[in-house]
Amino acid sequence: MTDPQQKQPGDALEAGLIEKAKQGDAQAFQALYDKHKRRVYSLCLRMTSNTAEAEDLTQEAFLQLYRKIGTFRGESAFSTWLHRLSVNVVLMHLRKKSLPVVSLEETTQVGEEDTPKKDFGAEDLALAGSIDRLQLQKAVDDLPPGYRTIFVLHDVEGYEHNEIATIVGCSIGNSKSQLHKARMKLRDLLRMKRSEKAQKS
Amino acid sequence: MTCVELQESLIENDSGGTAAQRAHLRDCPHCAGLVADLLVIACAAGELRAAHEPGPHVWNSIETSLRREGIIKPFARRSLLPSLTGSWSWTGWALPAAAVVLITIGILVRPHAPPPGVVTGGVTSQPASDAALEASVAGLNDNDLLAEVAEQAPALQAQYTENLRNVNDYIRDAKYSLDANPNDEDAHRALMDAYQEKAMLFEMALDRSLP
Ligand SMILES: [Zn+2]
Repeated sequence: MTDPQQKQPGDALEAGLIEKAKQGDAQAFQALYDKHKRRVYSLCLRMTSNTAEAEDLTQEAFLQLYRKIGTFRGESAFSTWLHRLSVNVVLMHLRKKSLPVVSLEETTQVGEEDTPKKDFGAEDLALAGSIDRLQLQKAVDDLPPGYRTIFVLHDVEGYEHNEIATIVGCSIGNSKSQLHKARMKLRDLLRMKRSEKAQKS
Repeated sequence: MTCVELQESLIENDSGGTAAQRAHLRDCPHCAGLVADLLVIACAAGELRAAHEPGPHVWNSIETSLRREGIIKPFARRSLLPSLTGSWSWTGWALPAAAVVLITIGILVRPHAPPPGVVTGGVTSQPASDAALEASVAGLNDNDLLAEVAEQAPALQAQYTENLRNVNDYIRDAKYSLDANPNDEDAHRALMDAYQEKAMLFEMALDRSLP
């Protein structure tokens, strides 16, 4: 995650909006929402792979935040606060649905399971240095929920393994292992799609 | 280092930058391709951040909850207009609405001597303005507007019902506050704002035609 203490150029404007929101100013609430909605919604969407759920969770995250905005003192960045709260809202939702937030197994050996088994041939071994965003999106949606959580938090949202371990409630080693497996699985999925596409054309 | 050992080592050092990893990768194109792919995936993942936008109804729901819970305060400046997305035709309430708009504009642009100590930010509040606006806003019939919405754009009915309720609450709160403190400049301004927002709500309808 980016350093929460590092002040950004827009911070003064945002601080003004936060103060207005504390007074109950509707436009300030909306301006803060407009600034952060894409990030929060995208997080919810990647973690759930469901637009209706993602919208409900986005709403819930902002409502929880706005109910507590009077307590915001600015020690950390507003965005850090919001994103952490959003992650908690999503994880709570996944737990309620009894979906695994993180895979239960600890660091199993690479090659035991979930690693690519299909041989795609040497000519399409590499992903050629570029990945189509939509394809990656679909592949992430196809990940098992446990892998998806760690991948989204680390590679998409930029959290460190020690932060993920605290947020999710797993060991740092488990977070690293799950991330590696998630990337391996994604590579497998992407190559499979690429291979299918090549066969069709 | 074997290929399996290399892959296991990527859990701790995913960039393949340790001496042992580098030594293996130099001689093993299979593992070199794997490491390159995993790094490409990790880098591309950042593009998924903030890649999507929620529907406009998400903010509408949030705003409704914030108003209901009193987190958005009645006297903090309200904005109904951004949540109005429908389109409209001329209706039976067009004339009173137009009257309100004209009066509103007239009040804002007409030069006059303000009462002592009641001028702020270029907008002047005075009892006569409140009364004139109140008289005109009273001519607007909420039921007419909602009936028109129900007929022409049923999908927007809930939104308009909510907006009307909000602005009527706003007017009521502002009046209550002004009754309690007749000389309070903020209360005068809040009531003016409330009347103007109701006028704007109807004015929006004048400018649009339903599909
Ligand atoms: Zn190798």
